[in-house]
Amino acid sequence: MKITDACVCPYPCGDSSVRRMALEARDLGFERIVAKDVPSGEVYGIELYTGILIRDMPLRDLVNRIRREKNSHAVVSVQAGDSGFNRAVITTKGVHILRGIQSADRHAFDHVTARMAADNRVAVDIDLSPMISGRGIARQRAIHRYRDIMVLEQRFGFPLVISSHARSVLEMRSVREITGLCSLIGMDIPDVEKAFSGIDTVTTPPDAAVRVI
Amino acid sequence: MGTRPPTLREKRRYLLVALEPAGTAVDQKDLYYALSDATTQLWGDATAAVITPAVVASEGQFFIIRCRRGTEHELAIALSTITTCRDTRIALRMVAASGTIESLRERIRCRMSPGPDQLAPGECIFDKKTFQLSQCNGQKVDVIEKGFKNTNRLFLTREDMEEL
Repeated sequence: MKITDACVCPYPCGDSSVRRMALEARDLGFERIVAKDVPSGEVYGIELYTGILIRDMPLRDLVNRIRREKNSHAVVSVQAGDSGFNRAVITTKGVHILRGIQSADRHAFDHVTARMAADNRVAVDIDLSPMISGRGIARQRAIHRYRDIMVLEQRFGFPLVISSHARSVLEMRSVREITGLCSLIGMDIPDVEKAFSGIDTVTTPPDAAVRVI
Repeated sequence: MGTRPPTLREKRRYLLVALEPAGTAVDQKDLYYALSDATTQLWGDATAAVITPAVVASEGQFFIIRCRRGTEHELAIALSTITTCRDTRIALRMVAASGTIESLRERIRCRMSPGPDQLAPGECIFDKKTFQLSQCNGQKVDVIEKGFKNTNRLFLTREDMEEL
């Protein structure tokens, strides 16, 4: 199990180089980060995964894009849309993470979608940026949505991942701070530990249903 | 009103936090306002009144923050939601918690680096833009974009610099 920040956006999306983010992640207690549009590797003892964020794309184009990235070993995240879109995305092979649930429609992630996510081992992203930098109703809405997701997670057991979505080293938070922030949405320490290693769950292929002995 | 005897005083805890980015000048009072705002926004007036946060001391990039004993966890969460102080982007990293200010001062003395590495004042070019070297602490190098309008700060490492 490696403690992972499931999404950071280094330069040119943000103001920090990927090396600096890796250095900061090491100081903050992480062992791995998923960095957007950066080649995978290891920097300062931190494992780097390539992250691909797909948003505002029709389903057909999205499927083609995912097919192109099939052999790149990148972590593919798709921005959540309405309920039909989310169900289609979850059943698409090659999608690892459904992100942006907090800003999607209230009914975009229901019990049916939750069961599908559990069956297809697609993780739901807990993006902490609205809780860190958001204020007022925006933060309240995010906390409410995440609490709702936690209820579904307890029931159906789909994977969760935690991301800071940091565009700067100043937006990154330590493991302890993230554990504290997650307590606001009803996650206890075992839940947070499980979510930190959620990337392993979605990137490792599932055990075969039938094993030849 | 006279000072209460020690057994009747309310118990307090002190948190040591480090301010980032290094070299940012932040006034103690401004930080108090940012802290008070963050605590109230997150926990509401009633809990903020119980926490009673206060910035009691500062040494370089370190600040000592006071709260009521038992509310350190809530204060630490509120601290992690501070992103700006008077329009300056900052981050507060919690270093330690203690029952006395003196023990935190010792921690500061232990952690105080010999000082930011001296960089030759100069310019560098990164991504076809000119930057002024600002801070250097170990591997970490901060640069500031030159110009009249945009003075963005970039966070790089020495290895990034070698590639410039």
